[in-house]
Amino acid sequence: MIPAWLLDMLAALMLVVAAVSAARLVMAWRRRSGPATADVDVAHLLMGIAMAGTLTAALATLPGTAWEVIFGLTTAWFAWRVWRDARASGVRALAGGHCAPHLVHSGAMLYMFLALAAPAGGSGMGGMGGTAGMSMGTLEYPTLAFAFALILVGYSAWDLDQLSGRRYSLATASVSLAPVGVSAMAAAESAVATFPGSSPAGDPEASPADEAVPREASKSRPALSAVLLSPGITVGCRIVMGITMAFMLVIMI
Amino acid sequence: MSDIAVVGDRAAWRDRAGAGIQAGSATMDARRALQLALAGIWLLDGVLQYQSFMYSKAFGQMLAGTADGNPSVIARPITWDATLVEHHLALVNTLFATIQVLLGLGIAFRPTVRAALAASVAWSLGVWWFGEGLGGVLSGAASPLNGAPGAVILYALLAVLLWPSDRGTPAPFTAARAVGVHVARALWLVLWLSLAWFALTPDNRAPQAVSGMISGMESGQPGWLAAIDRGAASLVAGQGLATSIALAVACIVIAAGVYLPRSAARAALALAIVVALVIWVVPEGFGMILAGGATDPNSGPLLVLLALAYWPVKTVTAATAERKAA
Repeated sequence: MIPAWLLDMLAALMLVVAAVSAARLVMAWRRRSGPATADVDVAHLLMGIAMAGTLTAALATLPGTAWEVIFGLTTAWFAWRVWRDARASGVRALAGGHCAPHLVHSGAMLYMFLALAAPAGGSGMGGMGGTAGMSMGTLEYPTLAFAFALILVGYSAWDLDQLSGRRYSLATASVSLAPVGVSAMAAAESAVATFPGSSPAGDPEASPADEAVPREASKSRPALSAVLLSPGITVGCRIVMGITMAFMLVIMI
Repeated sequence: MSDIAVVGDRAAWRDRAGAGIQAGSATMDARRALQLALAGIWLLDGVLQYQSFMYSKAFGQMLAGTADGNPSVIARPITWDATLVEHHLALVNTLFATIQVLLGLGIAFRPTVRAALAASVAWSLGVWWFGEGLGGVLSGAASPLNGAPGAVILYALLAVLLWPSDRGTPAPFTAARAVGVHVARALWLVLWLSLAWFALTPDNRAPQAVSGMISGMESGQPGWLAAIDRGAASLVAGQGLATSIALAVACIVIAAGVYLPRSAARAALALAIVVALVIWVVPEGFGMILAGGATDPNSGPLLVLLALAYWPVKTVTAATAERKAA
């Protein structure tokens, strides 16, 4: 039996990811401008809550059917985004694009909820943790679980490489002012798309790029909010979530 | 104006983002790509180590079982290690799994790649002895079909060959960049000739040896994989010697392949990839991951990675590699 404390720790980690995603959404809302990755933050928030509930019974919130509907919708959403990226940029968007990893994450969550057989004597999808250790359910179609786990660890390794390279930054400003040619994931996940009308009116000196950068980010030392809204945080959340998801898939094979 | 930040024109931003996708993913150093694949396999390895099976007494017994047939100087530390694991199962196994996940993360994270690769060599050697009983090399249990010479030693080999340094001389393939052409070719030769040797040992060339090994992997596998195993087992039933000879010949051709001209080398490496994939799917059953209880994905994917590291490329020098990285 997998120790319960290990599952609890991972559940706590997922809640941290959910909290960070929620904070990003709130900050973006308060600014009335926010990252173009609001859909990703919403997906991370929901996945964090769902995964925490799956890892630890006490944190279970919604029934499995509700999560199936939710992740069915997020999967459809990211599939549409990927399809649109592919139309614009060719098949490369499928592998290296900004939405493809999120499509895999959403698909993996949907699969996990659809394919999970309730553990013997367990309570179904309302959480699998126990006090002494994990009473696991098992997944139907384990080949699919393995395939998802492989892709998830692959994306995590790729993301970590890109995070430690020059593709992402923890400072929104530096990325927003990146030169032409910066890669698309950085673009997609760092771009601050200011909504029409939200820029300070009557400021002829403000360049479009300046308007797009959060005010804190323009200071020499980026504020916490700027760091929180940075693409590095999004990708960091994705890495943590991807590895934890792979862990869950593998232990339920 | 920034190419990224756009005000009030999402469509324009998306177009530019799309253009960036192509620019961003067009270039990646081949060695870095292989390092990332190795990182991914370490991550998978670590995740597998967290399975329920590893937290049961069966894991300690499995470790103890690798001592069988080994000389006592090798076997005694394995038995001690297995006892230690059995007594502190939750703690030790969690530590093992976490170390392997950290190795994967460390290789994928650029600033720590050297430290992680070095640590992975040390860890692999330790696991090869204490966890795999030297892959059965000394006990006579080793076979190319069951992961000889021990999957974990291939991690160490890959870490050495993918070490992020260049010798300055032009390298005709990625594996030669860190250790040089002669050493890299010699390592490949030793590996595949040893596999040819193991294929021909008396235990492995017995009439029912290969079919028995394959049919033994059926248990717990999904239906489609069990069907493949059944078909393969019946195909080679009673043909142990012929199968072993065919496998040994293939291994010898592959071993010599890296010394051949580019086109022939490519053919030999393609054969290596095919052999590795067949081994991974049929006798290794994806490392038994789908049946639960696998400690690693076994040797198949690592042999594929190795073959890719020897794939002839446009001559790589330190300067061209730096330009690509930049």
